[in-house]
Amino acid sequence: MNPMSPILSVKNITKQYQGITALENVSLSFFPGEVHALLGENGAGKSTLIKIIAGAITPDEGILEFSDGIVHKFMTPALAKDYGIDVIYQEFNLVGCLTVAENICFGEKYGRFVNYQHMKKVAEQAFRLFDVDIDPSIAVYELLSSKQQIVEISRAIFRKTKLLIMDEPSAPLSVAEVEKMFTVVNKLREQGVSIIYISHRMEEIFKISDKVTVMRDGQKIITLKTSETNRSELVNYMVGRELKESFPTRKPATDQVVLKIENVSGNGDTNIFLEVNKGEIVGLAGLVGAGRTELARVIYGVDKLESGRVFVRGKEVKISSPSKAIRNGIGMIPEDRKQHGCLLTRSIKTNISLSILPRISVAGFINARKEKECTIELAEKLNIKAPNLEQQVSNLSGGNQQKVVVAKTLATDCEVMIFDEPTRGIDVGAKQEIYKLISNLAEEGKAILLITSEMEELIGLSDRIVVLSEGRIQGEILKDDFSQARILEMASGMA
Amino acid sequence: MVKVLGSLKTMNISMILRKYAIIFIFLGLFLLFSAINPAFKSWENIRNIIIQNTYIVIVAVGISFIMMSGSLDLSVGYQVSAIGVLTARLMTAAGLPVWAAILCGIGLGMAFGFINGGVSVLLKIEPLVVTIATLPVFRGISNLISGGLSYTNYPESFRLLTRGTFINIPYDVWLAIAAVLLAEIVYTYTYFGRYVKAMGSNEEATRLAGVNVNFMRIATFVISGFFVAIAAFIYISKLSTVNATYGPGIEFTAMTAAILGGVSFNSGEGKMWGLVIGIFTLAIIENGMQLAGWNQYLQYIIKGTILILAIGFDRYQRIQKTKRKTRQLEPRMATQ
Repeated sequence: MNPMSPILSVKNITKQYQGITALENVSLSFFPGEVHALLGENGAGKSTLIKIIAGAITPDEGILEFSDGIVHKFMTPALAKDYGIDVIYQEFNLVGCLTVAENICFGEKYGRFVNYQHMKKVAEQAFRLFDVDIDPSIAVYELLSSKQQIVEISRAIFRKTKLLIMDEPSAPLSVAEVEKMFTVVNKLREQGVSIIYISHRMEEIFKISDKVTVMRDGQKIITLKTSETNRSELVNYMVGRELKESFPTRKPATDQVVLKIENVSGNGDTNIFLEVNKGEIVGLAGLVGAGRTELARVIYGVDKLESGRVFVRGKEVKISSPSKAIRNGIGMIPEDRKQHGCLLTRSIKTNISLSILPRISVAGFINARKEKECTIELAEKLNIKAPNLEQQVSNLSGGNQQKVVVAKTLATDCEVMIFDEPTRGIDVGAKQEIYKLISNLAEEGKAILLITSEMEELIGLSDRIVVLSEGRIQGEILKDDFSQARILEMASGMA
Repeated sequence: MVKVLGSLKTMNISMILRKYAIIFIFLGLFLLFSAINPAFKSWENIRNIIIQNTYIVIVAVGISFIMMSGSLDLSVGYQVSAIGVLTARLMTAAGLPVWAAILCGIGLGMAFGFINGGVSVLLKIEPLVVTIATLPVFRGISNLISGGLSYTNYPESFRLLTRGTFINIPYDVWLAIAAVLLAEIVYTYTYFGRYVKAMGSNEEATRLAGVNVNFMRIATFVISGFFVAIAAFIYISKLSTVNATYGPGIEFTAMTAAILGGVSFNSGEGKMWGLVIGIFTLAIIENGMQLAGWNQYLQYIIKGTILILAIGFDRYQRIQKTKRKTRQLEPRMATQ
């Protein structure tokens, strides 16, 4: 094989979801024996690109050309396997109840019967590369997540992969294990494997990659040789844009503290201090896995608070369940709208009134008139677009579904509102509406905690940003000092 | 929005068919059996079918609370058995007054429900799995209470439950009607009913909305236990005798009928009229085939087949619904 010809070239790939462009005209080539890093914020299009290469989704336009000269309009998982493409996703792809050896040799056959001896040998061989001690006959679910990651990588080695895609592979690993992983990656590189490496951690990219491509808003910005660039240049490319969205201005927050969190630990977060004032929006920044959603769930009583204290309006509250959170004036709009936010198969009315039914009932009987009045009022206030309130929520657009969830929370008359990724999966026009909505709520005096992975949103809406990293507060940035570069640096632990 | 509305309109006819399918099936079977044997549609026979199924209606109403909240209860049959022998023994061998025996029976039923629901909440086990475990427990309890004996010669006032009438309609029929109406009122007008359905459609979202789903889980089982106890009284009164082997099987008849009538155990959906028609559909299949002189074992096969078809139809409709939704979400992918 000519070392200069790429294993795979993607050309002019475009992909849209419901009118939102996830990838726009992206062309990239991946060469054998090369580690190619993909860099970009959440939503830059990295995941969409690797899913297209792995055959999990189909591109709208563009082609994939392989070294054998064959051109495909789209991939399938089977096709990807034939070409020796293997993906290590952020979420594990192992079968938990099978042993380590069985997972590594999954899908391969030697003879008519299962050959445990052979599988064990293969697994041990792979682990020798890693210099780790994992018992091949133990069930995968018994392993720590870092060890599971090593099993995943070992599987890729065993499969004689030609193109290995690693999506945030270092996330569950310790520093020492990352080092070991790098030795394995280097060995693979020597064997001529082409590797696509996705990571938020800048220092890893400089350590391991030969080339780095920066992506932003679904577009390829630039491909550079790693040896010829530096951190600040890359950050500039990642950020490099004006804020396109317009964010409503609003009156300044008061200095009246509504929510106060003191030394809270739990759910993977440690020693969190946080204050949110009346009329203030505090943004929680951090990379995926930094512990933002985890913190929200602790405050809302979904997950257990291990230590620390929570105050609402200066009064200490003990919150052990969502119903107690609601009773104490705390509301949450969950990250996963469809699974946790609403009852998709029920009507708009049923959804909005769900949290306040006891209050609008007499002797257990729902006062239908009150329910209707209350839901109509909220639906009008939030401008929910639907022919009537009996409409099933699953028939609404993402933006309107989200408004239903907000209405349900608002109905409880809460003082603190936690928004977890409020604009995920919502189209551009509706995003503006959600921004306005959150802004208005702050003006009305709600204390708002905003979790979002979209930088523009975070900067545009927040009065103050608290940055989390690995379950700890990394720092706080005041409005005048907001900059994407600074947040990114703090979130990736560089500052 | 306009697009969604358009597709809603075209869905209407199939939706009506789906919603009322059980009525068409019921009517079809009714006409079929009437044609095979004219005796089937005699008032005498119809009256019999109704009276024979009152306790099934009440059990099904009870289980509907569990099903609508997203689970199943397999232990109901042995609950009937244990409640039956306890009540019978107390008012015959032990000589307790009828009202006291009835109170004890209801108490036992609700205690069984509390155990099922409570264990599920405490140990965080799927309720269905808990009932698989409590099934043999209740069976053992029932046998211990009965001491291996059968009980007969109930006091006259207890026998009145199925023999007495009001406006020419037996008391147990009135009880069945009352149970159905009560459940319908709870599901339609109370927030408790709303919570049950909400749980059935998405338990986690319901919990996050501030509903105490643990309490709800236990409450649905306790309510079911109450209805099961009432049904057990009618059952043993009708048979005039009871021992520990009486009862098992009722749970399957009731759940089959409920599923047939559109009460779902994974989406919080269902109507009480559907439940009633489901029960009588099963009942006329059995009765009609008997009158037609068909082999009893053939009846089992046909019943099971009908259940599979009913669930399959429901599932098929759901998949179609999801497919429509996916197409709406990713129109571009579909055209590729």
